[in-house]
Amino acid sequence: MAASVLLACGLNEQKLPGFVHISEESNVDGSFLISCILGQRLRISNAGTLLVCLQNHYQHYFNAGMRLGYNSNIFLGKTFNVIDVLSDMARHGLSSKWLRSPDGLTLTDQLVKDIREQLEKNYPNRSSYTILIDNLSILINLGASKQQVQQFCLDLADLAKAHDNLTVITKLSNSDIHPLTDNNVAKLGNVRIQVLRLKSGVFREVDGKLLIERVLDDEGSYSCEQTRKEVLYKVNDRNVKIFNPGEIGVKV
Amino acid sequence: MTSFRKRTVQKPIRGTRTSPHTGQVITSSGNPSLDLILGGGLPIGSICLIEEDRFMTHAKVLAKYFLAEGLLSKQELFLGSLDDLPEEMLRRLPKPLTDEEVEQEQRLEQEQQADKNGLRIAFRYNDLPLVNSEQATAKIGHHFNLMEHMDAMMLSYAHATIWNDKKTNQEDYEDFDVANDSEQPRAGGGESLPDPSESMLYSYAQVVGSKADPDQEGEQSPPPDAAPTQAAAAAAETDEATPMEQSDGQKTAPNINNNNNNNMDNSTANNTTSTTGTTTTTTPTASPPTGKPQFFYNARYDRLLNYIQLLLNDSIFEPGANMQEKNLCRVCLTSLGSPLWYDDHFAEDLLKFLTILRGSVRSCTAVCFITMPMHLIAKYDSSLVPKIRQLVDYAIELESFAGSERETHPAFKEYSGLLHLHKMSAINTLAVHMPETTDLAFKLRRKKFVIEKLHLPPDLQESSEQTAKSADVLPIPNCGVNSNVSMDF
Repeated sequence: MAASVLLACGLNEQKLPGFVHISEESNVDGSFLISCILGQRLRISNAGTLLVCLQNHYQHYFNAGMRLGYNSNIFLGKTFNVIDVLSDMARHGLSSKWLRSPDGLTLTDQLVKDIREQLEKNYPNRSSYTILIDNLSILINLGASKQQVQQFCLDLADLAKAHDNLTVITKLSNSDIHPLTDNNVAKLGNVRIQVLRLKSGVFREVDGKLLIERVLDDEGSYSCEQTRKEVLYKVNDRNVKIFNPGEIGVKV
Repeated sequence: MTSFRKRTVQKPIRGTRTSPHTGQVITSSGNPSLDLILGGGLPIGSICLIEEDRFMTHAKVLAKYFLAEGLLSKQELFLGSLDDLPEEMLRRLPKPLTDEEVEQEQRLEQEQQADKNGLRIAFRYNDLPLVNSEQATAKIGHHFNLMEHMDAMMLSYAHATIWNDKKTNQEDYEDFDVANDSEQPRAGGGESLPDPSESMLYSYAQVVGSKADPDQEGEQSPPPDAAPTQAAAAAAETDEATPMEQSDGQKTAPNINNNNNNNMDNSTANNTTSTTGTTTTTTPTASPPTGKPQFFYNARYDRLLNYIQLLLNDSIFEPGANMQEKNLCRVCLTSLGSPLWYDDHFAEDLLKFLTILRGSVRSCTAVCFITMPMHLIAKYDSSLVPKIRQLVDYAIELESFAGSERETHPAFKEYSGLLHLHKMSAINTLAVHMPETTDLAFKLRRKKFVIEKLHLPPDLQESSEQTAKSADVLPIPNCGVNSNVSMDF
């Protein structure tokens, strides 16, 4: 279902890099990547996952997951936990803790606090732990400054460094509008996946382009190797297909 | 103990159906051709943004379709605007067509087309079926006639909340009747407009029309649709941020000329009075939400969001709830982000508002329809446009030919403008529905608004002069935006 896209991104292994950043250009939807990664993490036994819903509410990920062949509800509350900011705001309106923190914390501080709490509760019992954040631009929309967002990501990257087998995956929409934040956040990790639209227009058989950049640094050595890979993707009803550039052409 | 479990089939919400393509519950946008582009209709929980044309005419037509469809399906309506008079807009909703009228109209159109395309030399081609560029109609929804306004009797059954952030005085309010002639004094509008500086500090929301079911006309018992209003009033009592005042009434006769409004203190939340006319429930606020500090710099967003959330938090809009009285709420905001909303923190407030609204609409059985003057917003801050589009599920731009040289160009003589699909997102699913083509144009006919596949007329003569002229006029096809850019595949 989603194995090919995860393989292309190098996220199909049990042990993931500490920090992965997904940059999403304007006018392109990369939320399928979150669903694909979520499914892969949930299938690993005793691997913990925390999903922070900012862009879509949990029900969306559940339904998208069902299309991809996994039922996230089975894992909910066991190996899978959710911080559903969007639903909480809908339920409590303007008095939601994400909008008016009772402790005087900023939105990003409140989020870090909640993530830490979840981590303390669940991490010791799990073989590995993944934190998925979809997406950072919502934090900016809700009033967080760029510095706060960067600090938030820095805190998460520190968590990933401090804990073994902890992976943080962030996504930022409109990366072309927030290039500074996007680059600074991407620098925190070794893997960056850019979801790009087709510059030549809309094509029925391809939705967009994935540009995967990995920095391979061997500990102790001074050399740093960077790899770049470009693939085309098409999101279908129940799977995501990957093509190499030049593989497909216009059918007449 | 047996393992037998009685299967409970959930009753579908009025005016909705499950899409066979995506499995989503969808509702009609009111316009059959727009429904077709959206894949049958708007999914529940989605926000559709219509980017207004320069003269703001066509987007308003689509908004009227959206509201009229909701009214006909007995759904809850919320209409908010600073630029328009919501009451006036409700009064001018298009008239629905009966099935016979729809059939008759379709037959007439087919005949007209056949006459127009009659071939004399290659007459054998006459036997071939006509290529209908106006795409097939959707299965849900109604057809409307833009030439005529909705019957006052129908309007009296509307269950609508309107918001225009104007201070209203009590007498004007009592005179207001949505079902009456537009000559009636308007609440908070026209001559009764308060001082603009004062009006910033006041807001009102209003539920107009009878909550009685047409089938139960004349009955004295309170109609079931009254539940959300009462619940909203109860919620208002508990929420300091939205001190809504509530009155209620019952429809006792089909006479729709008189209203009765009771404005009360928060302590007396409900008061039912029988009148000889349509029930008009008013919820004016004497002061802006107090008690809690404002979340937005512009207090209007606070007030608007409070009213919307108060309405949407009602149990009848709760998804998955197995209730008899489940309903759908249609939230329509026209000209959001117009210059009337401008202030020093316009961009921040607008993005915050849309983000929270997105959360609210997603979490209940509601659909939201927003029109925005995006050409003005782009001039204010061009980076705001993609940010706004990211926060909605459908972004559709209406590019009108009015006032441009395309208006008289022979290639576009059939159309009123072009329709650009900027965003279609997958909600509660993986893949998004894509229409057959994204090269679309619209035309505002006398009776209806039609979206068609863009095609050039066959008799457009090719001369070197025309080709050169049309090179900068013709729309750039989606595939091949820039000839300098190499293809990606």
